[in-house]
Amino acid sequence: MHDGIVTEGLTRLFPGGVGLADLSLEVASGEVLALLGPNGAGKTTTVRLLNGVLRPDRGHARVLGLDPATHGDELRRRTGVLTEHAGLDDRLTARENLHYAARIRGITGPAVEARIGELLDRFGMGERADQPVRGASTGQRKRLGLARSLLHDPEVLFLDEPTSGLDPTATRDVVELIGSLATEHGRTIVLATHFLGEAGRLADRMAVLDRGELVAYGRPADLADDLWDGLEAEVDLGARATTEQLDVVASVIGVHTVEPSPAGAVLRVAGRDVLPHVVARLVGAGAPVYAAVPRPPTLEDVYFEIEARRAASAGLPPAPDPRGVPT
Amino acid sequence: MTRTDWTAVWGVVAKDLRAVVRSKSVVIPMLAVPVLLMVFLPGAIGLAARAAPGVQVERLLGDVPGDLARPILDLPVEEQLIVLVNGYLLAPLFLIVPLMVSAVLAADAFAGEKERKTLESLLHSSIRDRDLFLAKFLSAFLPALAVSWLGFLAFVIVANGVAWPVMGRVFVPTRLWGVMILWVAPAVATLGLAVMVRVSARTHTAQEANQLGGAVILPLIFLAVGQSTGLLLVTLPIAVGIGAVIWAVALLLLRGGVKRFTRDALVAQV
Repeated sequence: MHDGIVTEGLTRLFPGGVGLADLSLEVASGEVLALLGPNGAGKTTTVRLLNGVLRPDRGHARVLGLDPATHGDELRRRTGVLTEHAGLDDRLTARENLHYAARIRGITGPAVEARIGELLDRFGMGERADQPVRGASTGQRKRLGLARSLLHDPEVLFLDEPTSGLDPTATRDVVELIGSLATEHGRTIVLATHFLGEAGRLADRMAVLDRGELVAYGRPADLADDLWDGLEAEVDLGARATTEQLDVVASVIGVHTVEPSPAGAVLRVAGRDVLPHVVARLVGAGAPVYAAVPRPPTLEDVYFEIEARRAASAGLPPAPDPRGVPT
Repeated sequence: MTRTDWTAVWGVVAKDLRAVVRSKSVVIPMLAVPVLLMVFLPGAIGLAARAAPGVQVERLLGDVPGDLARPILDLPVEEQLIVLVNGYLLAPLFLIVPLMVSAVLAADAFAGEKERKTLESLLHSSIRDRDLFLAKFLSAFLPALAVSWLGFLAFVIVANGVAWPVMGRVFVPTRLWGVMILWVAPAVATLGLAVMVRVSARTHTAQEANQLGGAVILPLIFLAVGQSTGLLLVTLPIAVGIGAVIWAVALLLLRGGVKRFTRDALVAQV
């Protein structure tokens, strides 16, 4: 039996159109899947389908070996969810919100108080525990929502935009926590996010959705191999490379392309073992080489390349890359 | 069929009640009408009757069939106004209390979850659809009944207390009141709730739900007005019959509401 997540042709239609079409993917136990895509891409619909809140029109899924459509109640006892809006009752205190969640999940007895106290402290909410949630900052709400999602020690976590609205420190803390939940505690995590940076740090696999369709799915490195031939590298020459220097680099076997950059040159090579030859040839030609660094594509690079190629195939101008780097 | 998870059900009920008690915008309108109808009105009538003990009510009862008016007209003149108003006319008006309280609380329990953006996280929890519906039903029904019964207790104390110098005896509750309290009021509370469950499915805020649901209260007010002009003085069998009809309609509506109360349908409204 598969302890992670498997979907096959998962489809949900809405009166206004397709919510999710033909989603097939697989996430092993203890892995982090990043669901990426713009608003309306189908990320939240995917989470709802996987947790048995929505029923599919076609296809099926298995989460922790259970079919969410038929065993949703049983499944939800073993999953935790942080929704985009943390979903806390403003009129209750932080502690009362957690008590409420515990009772709904049938967690009662003397251990509950200790567990709630532990989570409140762990998420930095100990001092605010007995104050109404009304008045709490977005970051505090997110942390409390995350604490609530962990209350029953779930095996699978669905996190919808867990760091939106958080300040940089809180973002770092939450990202580290999510990472440790997967690596140290073996939880399977589905992370729906707009923030590619955090997805890049956490995700073992990524699924790019657009208007309900799965555009790309796999490990970022595998997707990068499919997208690009070879490896990108940057050579720091202290200044933009001259035409002669570019010719020297281009003549090295294994160099596919070379372009000047403000600090020197950006090249695409067959592999990292080509770089020592590039450095040797440049030094031999009298060029000052300060560094030659391979730059494996990040999840962000992969995402924006996929988006750019999709736009190109649809005859649209590429979406601007918010990082300001070429895609 | 799976067994009801009462821990989860009471968890939701306790949370909803706690939250409502802390919400002035819900509590104030919920208590204002019962206080007005069950305390101020009988108090004012009693005081008026004491101030003007010889008020004739025959004209008021002129259009009422003799059999219905007889028990009042047979009373001493100084008692007639008090018994007519506090013993009879307020009985249908009293139905506004369970109807209004259940409607206000149901709007908060169902549409309010959407408004506060707490519905989705609730749907992602492990509580079953049926248990969640039951919990939300109880969250509105139990306080509606409690407010109605406590309001009635206040009414009995005020009405008898203020009228004591004139009446010299306890004159309410009557048998009609007994039927109203124990039979019709719970039916009306269930009706208000059943309607609000349906209304809440079509609205996004508790206020919208209350506005839309307000249309339900109008027929009852109409009934009360009819009562006060002597057109519709209910007798005991009629009161029992009205209660039975209300129960039937309420349960029918409620059954439809339960069928539509699924996660799949609810999350589409988020």
